[in-house]
This record gives sequence, structure tokens and C-alpha cells, in this order.
Amino acid sequence: MRRLTAFLGYTIAALTTAATLVTPFLLFNLFGGILVRTGIRVDPAYGGGDSVRVLPRDGYRIVVHRAYLPVAPLPSVRPYAQMAWAPASALPAHVEDDVDLDGDGRPDLRAAFDVPRDPAARLVADVRALGNTVRPPRRVSHQDLGTLIARVNDRVLLRVPLTREAAARERGRR
Amino acid sequence: MAELVSTATAPPGAGRRPVWTSLLLTLPVLLWAMLMFSRSLLVPGAAPKIAALIVLAFMVSLFFLMVFTRATYRWRRLFFVSLGLLFPIGFIWDLLALRGSMTIPFDSVLTGDVPFCFLAIPMTIVPAALTSTIIFPGSILATPSNPHAIVPMIVLWLVATIVLGKGWCAYGCFFGGIEEGVAALPRTARIKTVDRRWRWAPWGVLAAVVLLSAATFSPTYCAWLCPFKAVTEFSEVNSLRTAAQAGIFSSLFIGLVLVLPFLTKLRTQCTILCPFGAFQSLFNKLSVFEVRIDRGKCTDCATCRRACPTLSLDAGSAAQGRAMMSCMKCGACVDACTKGAVVWHIKGTSISASPETARLLYLYPAWGFATMFGGSIIASSLEKMVHLVV
Repeated sequence: MRRLTAFLGYTIAALTTAATLVTPFLLFNLFGGILVRTGIRVDPAYGGGDSVRVLPRDGYRIVVHRAYLPVAPLPSVRPYAQMAWAPASALPAHVEDDVDLDGDGRPDLRAAFDVPRDPAARLVADVRALGNTVRPPRRVSHQDLGTLIARVNDRVLLRVPLTREAAARERGRR
Repeated sequence: MAELVSTATAPPGAGRRPVWTSLLLTLPVLLWAMLMFSRSLLVPGAAPKIAALIVLAFMVSLFFLMVFTRATYRWRRLFFVSLGLLFPIGFIWDLLALRGSMTIPFDSVLTGDVPFCFLAIPMTIVPAALTSTIIFPGSILATPSNPHAIVPMIVLWLVATIVLGKGWCAYGCFFGGIEEGVAALPRTARIKTVDRRWRWAPWGVLAAVVLLSAATFSPTYCAWLCPFKAVTEFSEVNSLRTAAQAGIFSSLFIGLVLVLPFLTKLRTQCTILCPFGAFQSLFNKLSVFEVRIDRGKCTDCATCRRACPTLSLDAGSAAQGRAMMSCMKCGACVDACTKGAVVWHIKGTSISASPETARLLYLYPAWGFATMFGGSIIASSLEKMVHLVV
């Protein structure tokens, strides 16, 4: 028995060297591929989640993203809706749009913001709820994952908090 | 600095190995290093080639010295401290070139351009298991704007952890190199005794950050406690909250990574705070390599306990003939023991089986990993510095 365990011990020890040797050529792609195939992705709280609808406008479009609904018991980010105006370089100096978030044919909010020529300039949006889907603060400028306006990769991202009812409706739909 | 290259007392009967045998045993590492740095040697420009050649020579020479002198700790430490010093230089250099500052722009959080750090791994596991999402604003695969992606780092960590267990903390963790370097500066410790109960603290921190991260789906350790934010990247200070975070990062870095290692000659951040280190300790059960104490040779002189930089040996563990599970297999205790009682060991084999064979079998994967991961980080940082003069 002792001989067997010693044989196994040395065999595993030698295999660890072999594992290290094949890591950059085989295991890296193998394990990486397995991880990617599990469908693992970055928490949409950061990136905003998948797009669900595109609203064409004159010279630009508004991309509506899937509402973010946290699953954590004590979430650090509250439910929000994200919209993206793109391309930012084609936006007029002042944007004012009604946006239908849930696709029911009725606008849920009216967003208005200036688009300065300087891409690094701080943006401020006036957002008004048109119904009970969102409950935005009057002016959105704060850099918080759940409430923000930011110019990123030639898009203007706007996130506004969802009402409790809208979040519940969205949860029911999923 | 003298301490960095000081000579440990060799165990009895452990004289130097013949040069030709040592060279022969070093040959696989030379071939591996050439393979690892071949890409840098083929790219145009002098700086990558010079950096790769320097690091190749450095890694191969250190391994030769480990084999030739039969000592591990001091040669490993030279590599490890170099890694600890050069990683922040290269990292900050890249940040300044890309963003012009060390602060994380809010846009990078939205676009997934925050470099992924292995310290976040324990916090990501529960949310990933529940929702298949990673609670870190990085990118899953490498992109031009974020080469330090999540999946490559997880794969590297996974393989190294299966092979080395907590040896990651002695061969891979670029942060540990900083405090190991600081701990090497004084000749003797000003604070000679540290209450050994402190070694339980990282388990408490680990439990707290894992639970809080699972409850909030946010990497709480990265947001509030990581001392190494002070030398990598941190949120822009624009509110009371971010000011408090920056204050905590700086205080922990100064206290646990600079001051206490200098006073105690211990890796204090690793010993009393690091949740990732505690997490890695669990994988020591998985690794086939360990440090054992031959009770037949041990005289209970406590030299090994004094040499351990992470309080992983005490009278109780010595009596049981093994280091504690927090042992990071740095080799300090083995090199310090003058009786040859503290030995490298492969699980399943007899304690009297050749410890030198066990040491070499551990060193090949450990050094192979160190060359692949740490060596390439050193080369990348060195390349930037060489660019200044070439």
C-alpha cells in the first residue's frame, strides 16, 4: 500500500510539471473555452445588458436595453432602464426625445440633454416620467451605476431608475 | 539589501551540487524560458529583445543557483521582490499612457475596461455560481482596450492553484513581492513576537467579503479594503465615499505593506489581512507538495518558526510534523533548519524519501509558472524602462 501511494504521489508530482508545460499551449484554450461556453458574462449592472429595441430617429437611433433587475438580496445597484443614443457624433446640439421602454406603443419618459462638441464635457439630462415605468430625478448627471448620463464609445448612455411596479412587471415577464 | 542575498545556513549533508549536474538539471528551465520569451525575441525593436534576454538570463540563473546551492528561499526571493517592484511600475506606466492617471474613469466601468485582478476571484464565485455573471467591471476575453481580461486570469490561477496550492502566494502574487522586499530590508526584526492568533484574521476577512459580495453583488474587498489599490488603480476621489476608500487603501498599504513588514520581517498583509491568501490555503489540501517536519531529526529549536514569514509554523504544528495549511511553500523554514528536519515532501511518500527529489519536483512546475507569469510581467515592465534609453 505504501508503495502504491508513493508511486501515485510521484506520478501526480510529475504530472503537475506536465500540466504547467501544456498550460500556455493547451490548457489555456481548453479551460478558457469551457468557461466561455458556460455562458458566463460580466454582471449587466456595469455594461447595461443586452439591447432589446432600436428606435430610429432622424440621423441617429435610440437603443433600448433590457431593464436591469438585481438578483442580490442587498443590491448595490437598484433596477434601472438604459437607453443609448448613437452615434453620439451625429446627434444635434440639443436632444429631446420621448422613449418607449417597454414597447407598448406609449412613451415612458421624455429625455432632454445638450450635446457639447467636447466629447469629454460633462452631460446633464432633464428626464421626465410619462407614466409609472421610471422614477428619474429631475436632472440626471450623477455618476452612479443606476442613474447616469455618460458619453461612451460614440454613444450617450442614459440610465434611469425603474419604479417598483415596473420592476415587478419586468420580473413577472421573465 | 544585504538581507536579500544573504546566505542561509545549509542543512547538514546538503553541500553544493556539482556544476555539471546543476547545469543539466537547469537545462529544462532554460528551454522553457526560451520558449516563453521567443515571441519577444522575434518582435521588431531592441527593447523587447533586451528585456526578454535579461529576464531569461535572470530566471535561468536563479534556478541554476537553487539547484547548485540546494537552497530555495533566497533565490526565489530575488525573483519575487523583482516582480513586486516591477509590476507596479509597469502597471502604472500603462495606466498613465492609456488614461493619464491612476484613477479608474467611470467610463471604464461602463465599457468593461477595468483590468481583472486575481484578488477578486473568491468574491466572484458565489454570484457566478448563482447567476453565471462575474461581479467585476472587466471583460470576459481580452480586448485591445483591456488585455487583462477575466477568463485568462482565472485559467492561469486555476492551473497554478491545482499545481502549487498556496504556492501561488510565493511564486505568482506580484503584491506579495512588495512586502517581502520591505521585510528583507532590516537585519533584525524590531517587533520580535506577533500574537499567532492574528493568523486567523484573514479567514474572518474572507468570510466577510465573500458573504458581503454575495449579498450585494459587488466586489467589496476591491471597493473598500485592498491595500494594493494604492499602487495600482482606484476610483477617482470626488465624494466622501471615494475619499474614505482612498484613505483606507493608503492606510492599509502604509501599515501592512510598508511599516509592519519592516518592523516584524513578516509578510504582515498576507498574514493578517489577505482573504485571497486564506482562500488559497484551502487548495493546499489539493496540492501534492507540502512542507513536513521529520520528528526524528527535529530538536524543537524553533528556528523554522522564527523563519516563517506568515506564522504558518508553531509548536503545535511542529509537534504534528507539518506546516499549517496557510504555508505558502516559500522554503524559508526548510533553508533555515540546520538539522535538515524541515523538508519538502510529496504526499503519499515516506517522510524519509529524498526531500531533494521532492524539492526539485516542486520547483520545476513552480519555476515554470513563475517564468511564464511573473517573468513575462517583469519583462514587460523592463521593456518600458529599456525604451527610455534605447
